[in-house]
Amino acid sequence: MIKKLFIVFIASFFSLISFGAIAKTTVTWWGETNADRDPVFIEKLVKSFNESQDEVELVMEFKEALNDVLRTAMLSGEGPDIVETPGPSYVKEYQEAGLIASMQGYSDQYGWEDKLLPWSYQAGVFDGEFYSAPKTFESMIMLYNKTLFEENGWSVPTTLSEYEDVAGKIKAAGMNVFAYGSTGWQPTHEHLVGMYLNSYAGPDNVYKALIGEKKWTDPVFVEAVELLRKHMVDDGYWSGSLENYYALGWDDFHAMFASRGAAMMTIGTWTFGTTTSSFADISDEWDWAPFPVLRDSGDASYLLALGTTMSINASSDNQDAAAKVLDFVFSNKDVVLDMAADFQFGEFVVPLYFSADDIKASVSPQVKRYLLDFADATGKGNYGYTTWTFWPADPGVHIWKDMEVVWAGDISVEDYMYDHQKLWDKARKKNQLLPVGAR
Amino acid sequence: MKFLLSKQYIAWYFLVPVLIVHFLVVALPSVLSLALALTDWNGFGKINYVGLENFYELFDDRYFKKAVWHNIIWTCLFLTIPIALALTCAYLLTGIKRGQMIYRLCFFFPYMLASIISCQIWKFIFHPLYGFPAWLNSKSIDLIPAVSPFTIKETSLYAVAFVDGWHFWGFLVVIYITGMYQVDNSLYEAADIEGATKFQKFRFVTFPLIRPVFIFSLVIIIIWSIPTFDYIWILTQGGPAYSSEVVATNLYSQAFDRFNVGYSSAIGTLMCIYTIFIVSIFAILRKLGWEI
Repeated sequence: MIKKLFIVFIASFFSLISFGAIAKTTVTWWGETNADRDPVFIEKLVKSFNESQDEVELVMEFKEALNDVLRTAMLSGEGPDIVETPGPSYVKEYQEAGLIASMQGYSDQYGWEDKLLPWSYQAGVFDGEFYSAPKTFESMIMLYNKTLFEENGWSVPTTLSEYEDVAGKIKAAGMNVFAYGSTGWQPTHEHLVGMYLNSYAGPDNVYKALIGEKKWTDPVFVEAVELLRKHMVDDGYWSGSLENYYALGWDDFHAMFASRGAAMMTIGTWTFGTTTSSFADISDEWDWAPFPVLRDSGDASYLLALGTTMSINASSDNQDAAAKVLDFVFSNKDVVLDMAADFQFGEFVVPLYFSADDIKASVSPQVKRYLLDFADATGKGNYGYTTWTFWPADPGVHIWKDMEVVWAGDISVEDYMYDHQKLWDKARKKNQLLPVGAR
Repeated sequence: MKFLLSKQYIAWYFLVPVLIVHFLVVALPSVLSLALALTDWNGFGKINYVGLENFYELFDDRYFKKAVWHNIIWTCLFLTIPIALALTCAYLLTGIKRGQMIYRLCFFFPYMLASIISCQIWKFIFHPLYGFPAWLNSKSIDLIPAVSPFTIKETSLYAVAFVDGWHFWGFLVVIYITGMYQVDNSLYEAADIEGATKFQKFRFVTFPLIRPVFIFSLVIIIIWSIPTFDYIWILTQGGPAYSSEVVATNLYSQAFDRFNVGYSSAIGTLMCIYTIFIVSIFAILRKLGWEI
């Protein structure tokens, strides 16, 4: 009798457990695989979400070549509940095709517009509705070897004349001005083009061109690209020569910067983790500054950029549950900051409102200063635009791919900008423009 | 019913699974791709019929024309240098009795390496900071400038072709040497009696008898040169300044970077037509009685 009762008890216990498991809604989320990143996501995001409630089970899967896998799955009406894309140009294509769902209702319900920084929220609004939320934001900055600068009495440049002056001094000291290179990631050129367009022509002019009030053939843009051509080809600012710039990859230029092969490095804030580690065991200290204004005066600005976006699959049966996951991310600053701190804010920097007290002590002081400075400057409207967040696909590829043709001397800067304007006209006609937000 | 089980159909039944897979994986997507060439599909949403617009645009695209020209150069390079080298080495190897396998293994070894490995090896050899020329320069030996040939627009295509050729020519050596071993030894003995030189034996005995193998190598080189992609993509991604862009890298960039899937399908269609054209030429020549 006791034996029978025991069996009934065990059976009931397992039934209850199974029922509990079945009752949970499973939300799938696909991310691009990365050996360093994946365990942090599982440990800090998935685990904390699943422990925070018992209605939804978040399952995160990491894929090689996520974009290709995702597109195939989405086109066949499959794919994860939460869709990750590399940026707004992809979101636009998915949204146009009706493959991602409008999140406007969830945004209103959970108040996401108040939780996310305004520019990042606006970048996800397509045809008046909210379709994508940013998973990480970034900006372009200028790193420099602080110790080296102090030893040589060099000042961090803030204007064009100071910039060219310090570049001359660095070269005279037998070093490269900047460490940087494009091997392994050809679109690296767009980092530089974007910086020069914004710093020379000014973010207001770039904004006007984005919304169609100014043409890219305007002399102010032509002069900006011509200045970049001069600094790259004639002066060899990046890694000593155009050929070296083409030949160096991520590890090479970080090593060059950390070993005094170059005094500065123009790069996005995604480098924070790597730069912090590469300077960890050496006596030199690194620091950063906004890229100088390429004029005689003016305020430096931060270029706005989204690294990855998150949307909800239109064919998902669990859209409500997926929205709960996203809301967990936007409502739990501590989880986000904890994860971002693991990468020194080079990854998973969800654009929420941070204050100085929110940032953990393990974050390097340089990174902390950047986060506060960025928030302060962009809050005052002092920001510019990166090509990979605000340019439609076709002009977005042209801006970096055909830059090489200019550098090779095969076409003039005027012709390059003329071709660029033609692609913008075409994109505008096809309704492919991306949200910019009012300035 | 009985005739369906007859021996003459057995082979058909065994081939049916292959046929089905081929139809689903190759034939059907190919036909769909031909259809997509007439649309402006971006790979995601609505498909609009645009007629021959993609083709008109293609013939006006300076970078596509450049890519086609690079493919022609690529084909010419592979039809000459690796073949000449492989024929010479294969012929010389047939005269080596001891240690021949070591040579064959050395020549063939690069062919067994994954393209990513071959590319990384050569990329590192010519690295401007840590490569071989840089090392020589550090020893005050300025034989070669410490600049990667993959990053100079005048040399990039040839540098990539060199790496691909380095990996490929050993394969040609193996197929030529296999063909040469099929040649009847008595013919060489007869040539020896006639006092033929080594070159004459190659010209009048070896080469005519390995002609089918030789023609086969020409056909595969011409056909394989059309979709050539991996070495170029890994080493230069078609750059700098489109200097090593070929049709396949152009197609990839249009489809996956610019979301012009209809346009890239038009490129694919032209590649397909060109391949059919080449294969047809060889088929016609064979019909005309050429020994190929």
